[in-house]
Amino acid sequence: MLPVEALLRARGLSKQYVQRRAFSRTKYTVTAFEGVNLDLFRGETLALVGESGAGKSSLARCLALLDPPTGGNIELHGQELRRFDSSTLKPFRQNIQLIFQDPASALNPRLTACEIIAEPLVVQRIGSKIEQRERALHLMQQVGLDSSQAQKRPFEFSGGQRQRIAVARALAPNPSILVLDEALSNLDARNQDLLLRLLGDLQGAHALAYVFVAHDLSLVSRFADRIAVMYQGKIVELSETRELFSAPAHAYTQELLSGGQSVEKILLARSA
Amino acid sequence: MRYLARRLAHAALLLIGVSIFSFALLQLAPGDYFSQLALNPQISAHTVAGLRAEYGLDQPLVVRYAAWLRAILEGDFGVSLAYNSAVGPLLALRARNTILLTGTAMLLSWLLALPLGIWSAARRGTWGDRLGGFFISTLLTIPDLVLFLLLLLLAVRSGWFPTGSMVSGNFDELTTWNKVRDVLAHLILPAFGLALAALPPLVRHVRSAMMEALDAPFIRAARAHGIRERRVLLRYALPVAANPLISLFGFSIAGMLSASLLVEVILSWPGIGPLLVESILAKDVYVVIGTVMLSAVFLITGNLIADLMLFASDPRVRIE
Amino acid sequence: MLSHRRKLECAACLLAAVYVVVLTAGFFAPYSFATQNREAAFEPPTAIHFRDAQGNLYAHPFVYAADGRSEANARYPIHFFVRGAEYRLAGFRSQLHLFGVEAPGEVHLMGTDGYGRDQFSRFLYGGQISLLAGLLATLLSLSIAVVLGGFAGFYGGGIDELLMRGGELFLALPWLYLLFAVRAALPLHISQAQVFLLLVSVMGLIGWARPARLIRGVVLSAKQRNFVIAARGFGASDFYLLRRHVLPQAYGVILTQMTLLIPQYVLAEVTLSFLGLGVGEPMASWGTLLASLQQYYVLSSYWWMFLPALLLIPLFLVFYAAADALQEIQKSVPL
Repeated sequence: MLPVEALLRARGLSKQYVQRRAFSRTKYTVTAFEGVNLDLFRGETLALVGESGAGKSSLARCLALLDPPTGGNIELHGQELRRFDSSTLKPFRQNIQLIFQDPASALNPRLTACEIIAEPLVVQRIGSKIEQRERALHLMQQVGLDSSQAQKRPFEFSGGQRQRIAVARALAPNPSILVLDEALSNLDARNQDLLLRLLGDLQGAHALAYVFVAHDLSLVSRFADRIAVMYQGKIVELSETRELFSAPAHAYTQELLSGGQSVEKILLARSA
Repeated sequence: MRYLARRLAHAALLLIGVSIFSFALLQLAPGDYFSQLALNPQISAHTVAGLRAEYGLDQPLVVRYAAWLRAILEGDFGVSLAYNSAVGPLLALRARNTILLTGTAMLLSWLLALPLGIWSAARRGTWGDRLGGFFISTLLTIPDLVLFLLLLLLAVRSGWFPTGSMVSGNFDELTTWNKVRDVLAHLILPAFGLALAALPPLVRHVRSAMMEALDAPFIRAARAHGIRERRVLLRYALPVAANPLISLFGFSIAGMLSASLLVEVILSWPGIGPLLVESILAKDVYVVIGTVMLSAVFLITGNLIADLMLFASDPRVRIE
Repeated sequence: MLSHRRKLECAACLLAAVYVVVLTAGFFAPYSFATQNREAAFEPPTAIHFRDAQGNLYAHPFVYAADGRSEANARYPIHFFVRGAEYRLAGFRSQLHLFGVEAPGEVHLMGTDGYGRDQFSRFLYGGQISLLAGLLATLLSLSIAVVLGGFAGFYGGGIDELLMRGGELFLALPWLYLLFAVRAALPLHISQAQVFLLLVSVMGLIGWARPARLIRGVVLSAKQRNFVIAARGFGASDFYLLRRHVLPQAYGVILTQMTLLIPQYVLAEVTLSFLGLGVGEPMASWGTLLASLQQYYVLSSYWWMFLPALLLIPLFLVFYAAADALQEIQKSVPL
């Protein structure tokens, strides 16, 4: 398994937020992440693991082209993104989609499931109205929702079903990459399993690449091909899952692995 | 102190904005006092042009604004073309009357609203509370204009209240004590009307602020300690409810001033309201600007006072 | 929550009915707003009878003619769908009135004014000016508020700062003084249609600040929501985001503001016309109808001149009830 060309390539990527204290001139910068180098290949799952505040979510949003980076560059399908304004980004956007942690807030409560799923097609002007609707219904079936529920609104679905709608919407424009930002964290164990199986199937069917953001190392170890460990805004280690578990190179990774494999437990242990 | 300095700067900026706004607005007006004079065949065009020059109306806008602003800072509000007198003293007299009226009404409305609101919050859900709520809702739906006309009707039909102006014809002959009584007699109806108009939102807010305060856990604790209900209401709940009410005081000034314009016109109280209406009809430019500016000054000052009270009453504001 | 919806529906139906009656005033009013009858000045409301002096009952209601202008005790039955004075409705000429009596009999439900004009007819026609001015000015204010508040909230930064500071300027003046100041800048003596348009635009232009602030607040929180970010993620334009996701969040606020602004603007028109700064005679507006009350002798002697003022109270009650219900519904529906 040695793909030739990376779907997504990030070099020296960094993001700093400039903040101003209320009613004061003094500005200070907060670094979300810096010097991030990443390659993502077709059909693989790359997990991004780290504790809260490590900058994983900021990085995920940046990779999904939702926040422009303040330094470094991104290549998508071999093309470098020079500028991060909406007109430059628009043709690239359908290639990469983000799934949010909380499906309830990611779906407009006023729209029906069908409208929500078809929205990327409407925005990108793909197909006629009828084709958009048919594709939306087809996608609903693909993610395991009954198409008879197409006219229901988000609040009529369960949490797991909502996340499926979000997945269906993300799939609508035929992306090659999905960025999942803690997409399983709000679900119970059973729904986590169901969604993971669905994501696995979809990956097989469409050769999708996943960037899977999580805080739980044990969870991602079940399916990730490679794992990147983030610590204080930097990727401190990036290797294949097996390798990472057998020979963790970085001290923080060792800590992660030794501490019952959950960042939360480590945090608890630290603060105690 | 930073808080106060900021509020003051903000108020000053607003005033400048208001002055530019009202000055610019009047320059847009087609025709001024003199264009009506020009229609008079007995006055020559030359005379009108001379008058225009004398009053500086032939100067460019910015120059006139700058000159006007400088004059205002020196206390000179320009000349009333209709009254043929300085605007400053005219405004001062009218402003005094408006302040007397709105001040009394403000006091009256809070004196009514506080006990009413506290009482109905303490007895929420009872018949008394519902009756009070109904009364307040009814009062709310009566437009100010109609309310004041009804009061005028009452005054005219009953003859209990003197109407028109703020003093009787023989005012100058009265003794000091009788002068005060005479003004009070004239004041009572417009002030009462204004207070009634302002009452509904005040009572509603006092009630809801008090109810929120009474729901706080420390009030339940105080009650559990067996502290008397009266003391719980006034010493424990009221200070907590005071903050939103002080802000409300600031907000209520604007409504009070608008309503006061109407009550002054309808019940013939010689405040700045009737002056504004007259000066608009007479195209008396400087009086209109002066009046509008004055109303803004009242409002901004009122809000500053509310800020000061908040500053004094809330330790959190002081610390920032 | 259901009861609030029911309350809102009732209020909306009532208001719609009022607007329909007033806009088709020509049909519901038995007379024209300008028809004078100097001999019948300040007549009290006409009594409507079912029983005559002899105690005979009639199926048809009738009125007696005023004394001195025809034989006494002549009965004039009230007919429905009668032909009368010609009026124009949406460009069509018509003579059909809902009710009326044959001349020389007259029916004045709310009495007559100093020129002998029918107060009831003038009240209906006056509603055209006042209610329409209120509605149009509200639509104008809200359009400005949606555009400015939407922009300020959505783009933030300098635009936001500028618009909100500008809005504060409008809030720094008591609104009636502001309204008068703007009115002062406009010509006094112009045609009635121009006055009407001026009133609408003046009221509409000065009232944008408060709704704009509220809409800005909603937009500010709505644009942070994940479904907006997600839509941006698949390439939605700003315009699409505003139209599809952000502004619909403000529907509730816009509707509530509408039910609060319309009565406020109706009152503003009434106040301006009352003080002689709005539409003038012979046009009827609720303000000009009330203006005659400024004369003490009218106020003290002719109680029916007060009827238009009293009729405003139930109308405003309905408006406030609608606003109340809307606010309650919004509170109970989490966005």
